[in-house]
Amino acid sequence: MSACTPKSLASSGQKPIQEMCHPLGAEEAVLTPSPDVRNITSSIGEKDQILPNGTPVETSSPSSSSSLLNRLQLDDDLDGETRDLFVTVDDPKKHVSTMETYITYRVVTKTTRVEFDLPEYTVRRRYQDFDWLRTKLEDSQPTHLIPPLPEKFVMKGVVDRFSEEFVETRRKALDKFLKRVADHPVLSFNEHLNSFLSAKDLNKRQGLALLSKMGESVKYVTGGYKLRGRPVEFSAMGDYLDMFTQKLGTIDRIAQRIIKEQSEYQVELREYGPVYTTWALSEAELQGPLEGVASCMANCSSALDELTQDMSEDFLPVLREYVLYIESMKIVLKKRDNIQAEYEAKLEAAAFRKEEKASCTQVPTDVEKCHDRVECCNADLKSDWDRWQNNKRQDFRQLLTGMADHNIQYYEKCLAAWESVIPLLRDKQPQETETEED
Amino acid sequence: MLSVSCLSALLLHTLERRMADAGNKESAPIGGDEFTNTELENNKNNTMVEEGSTLLRRMEISVAEAEKRTGKNTVNMQEIFTVYLIETRPIDAITEGHNPAPDSLWRRYSEFEILRNYLLVTYPFIVVPPLPEKRAEFVWHKLSADNMDPDFVERRRVGLENFLLRVASHSVLSNDKILYHFLTEEHRWKEVVYETGFQAKADSRIKALSATFRVKNPDKRFTEMKHYSDELQSLTSQLLRVRARVADRLYGVYKVHGNYGRVFSEWSALEKEMGDGLQSAGHHMDAYAASVDDMLEEEEHYADQLKEYLFYAEALRAVCRKHELTQYELETASSDLISKKQQREELATGMVRTFSFKGMTNKLFGQETPEQREAKLSLLEEQIVQGEETVTEKTVECEEYVKGAWVDMQRFKEQKDRDLREALIGYAVMQISMCKKGIQVWTNAKECFHKM
Repeated sequence: MSACTPKSLASSGQKPIQEMCHPLGAEEAVLTPSPDVRNITSSIGEKDQILPNGTPVETSSPSSSSSLLNRLQLDDDLDGETRDLFVTVDDPKKHVSTMETYITYRVVTKTTRVEFDLPEYTVRRRYQDFDWLRTKLEDSQPTHLIPPLPEKFVMKGVVDRFSEEFVETRRKALDKFLKRVADHPVLSFNEHLNSFLSAKDLNKRQGLALLSKMGESVKYVTGGYKLRGRPVEFSAMGDYLDMFTQKLGTIDRIAQRIIKEQSEYQVELREYGPVYTTWALSEAELQGPLEGVASCMANCSSALDELTQDMSEDFLPVLREYVLYIESMKIVLKKRDNIQAEYEAKLEAAAFRKEEKASCTQVPTDVEKCHDRVECCNADLKSDWDRWQNNKRQDFRQLLTGMADHNIQYYEKCLAAWESVIPLLRDKQPQETETEED
Repeated sequence: MLSVSCLSALLLHTLERRMADAGNKESAPIGGDEFTNTELENNKNNTMVEEGSTLLRRMEISVAEAEKRTGKNTVNMQEIFTVYLIETRPIDAITEGHNPAPDSLWRRYSEFEILRNYLLVTYPFIVVPPLPEKRAEFVWHKLSADNMDPDFVERRRVGLENFLLRVASHSVLSNDKILYHFLTEEHRWKEVVYETGFQAKADSRIKALSATFRVKNPDKRFTEMKHYSDELQSLTSQLLRVRARVADRLYGVYKVHGNYGRVFSEWSALEKEMGDGLQSAGHHMDAYAASVDDMLEEEEHYADQLKEYLFYAEALRAVCRKHELTQYELETASSDLISKKQQREELATGMVRTFSFKGMTNKLFGQETPEQREAKLSLLEEQIVQGEETVTEKTVECEEYVKGAWVDMQRFKEQKDRDLREALIGYAVMQISMCKKGIQVWTNAKECFHKM
């Protein structure tokens, strides 16, 4: 629950891009974020600082140095591959035109791949563009898991599309999307991704894109073939996803409940402190101690505010986005099922025709093609699944560690407040004639 | 009206107080050494040995245990009640190294009440320490409001001990014989205390209330003190109410985290590599949720300290009211005397100064005979002499009361400042401990998440 009203972004034109150092040239400094290596821009509303390997450092709340290390180490662990494509989404800006108002994000790419003409690109993209990219990826790589995008539609009255919180949450999700694509051994070489990252203006051909999106996806998801025997491993995946979705739903509900309880606790706490202040007015000797306790409680109260806000902004959105990710994975599983079903149907039909025409000894080519497709799909899916599981593990490790960190920070703030009030409580006035404590 | 023994007790009290201030100091139990230990100890006992005290120096007193008994009550019905074991030991024996077994007797809460009422009536100028509450109030939902609840009984035991220690260390109250009997004579005590006739001496409520409204010239310091006692009462009760609500909400926050324990456990069954980390983290979440019970139980001690001063506020107000009563009685006696003197003057000179019904009827129905007048005059003279004695007595009474009460109210003020400061420190220490536990649990959980 945010204590302040959501802030809108300053709307402006494009800002000049600052010089960035080449990622490969600054590898030694990866673990210690020294100022000259960090990429600090002058844009308004940006909270993130970017490390050379392309990951943003979340400094919106004062994180302990250990959590900083966590984030750095996590990305270094990724598969042990040498990475040659780094992408970042940042710097959201509001654009106002006569027709519409919308947000664009800066997409920064650094790469050594030969598929790219330049080692660096900076472009501005809006949500529509990300959506276009995703559709293109789905169409051109139907057997692969495409990471999800954050929700497209928002209820106009309910959510402020231009509030700082909303935009930041969306930015993080878009950044995650692009990073997942860039990390994928197949998707990252997709030509559409290349265009997205490098082209000045995206030639999107919206009309056709919409039609094709409808066509391909529908064909694979709602295929009319019936599946005979699904391999056990894919069934297991489906079961896992169902149960996992359930658990995530439970965790979401618990997190929401905690936020609610904390808010109600906050309400009482806000009434509690002031009573001490009122009492202090009636007292002489005790005035200092009572006021000290009151201000201590006010500090704890604002620390709690921050905790609740952090959980709302950092924890819940990421959790919910994972549900979308699971949905994407389920769709891929379904597609695979349909491809297998199509193959089985064709195989059956061919066998039937074979019986009639005894001369045919070879398997017809289209059935063979189908079989290849099935094999290919299964292989892609398996490798995507492994990758997905790995990402999931890291993502949740990061998410839950973040939750622990927020709580630790909250308690550390409260501890500091109470510890600082102890000497005030023990300190007696000089006029006191009773025996004094040391 | 104060008895002679009380007046002398008053003087003794004032004297001892002056002696104490003059420098006959002893080192108080709160030594200067280790903050946590001694301050916490004092916080637990919640008492300071007064300079010049007698009984507590001679005798070690404690309320050691509580037990349930059954018996017949006043309307001859079976009831269950709790009795408390009072143990006493002479200090000389202990310091000489003998370590004798303590003398002991059992008392019910109602007997403590009788003792306190006796003290209130007998020493109206003293801010008499209060008893722990009769019924559990300001309860937050988890605690039961049941008088039989073991936690409530335990806190009451501590409260009763605290009461006895405060009374036995008070320079005036500790000398009382009835108190001594209470601690040492199990069976005859009630008869003895009723024999003092203290119940008859109690001021009627109506008398006290009308004095408050009608008194003309009360000591301003007492009026201020009474005003302060009202504020103290209102503030502490407000604080207790809000604190209970805060405790309720905090309980909710902690307990909901227990759900994480369950879901992490279920989730870990689905996972291969993540399973162990999740499972262990879940256990920490369970521990976190469970930790709140002890913490809030400990916080009840702070609530008890506030409650003591909530009730103390009432005792303070009673002392101020008694002053108003004695002052009012003095004013009444003085104005009676003045009116009697005026009547004498009128009779002697035949001049009617003030309107009187008698005077009117005299005018209407004829004057009295000289013999009647003589009789009236001599009666008036007698009454005037008596009245003058009364006024003198009342003046002394009032002055002595003011002196004695003021001294004790100062003592109370210092005690209150000390005790509440200790209470606040104790509260801060509890909060610190709670924060440290929170950090510990979440750090443990974080390590588990790390291993996922």
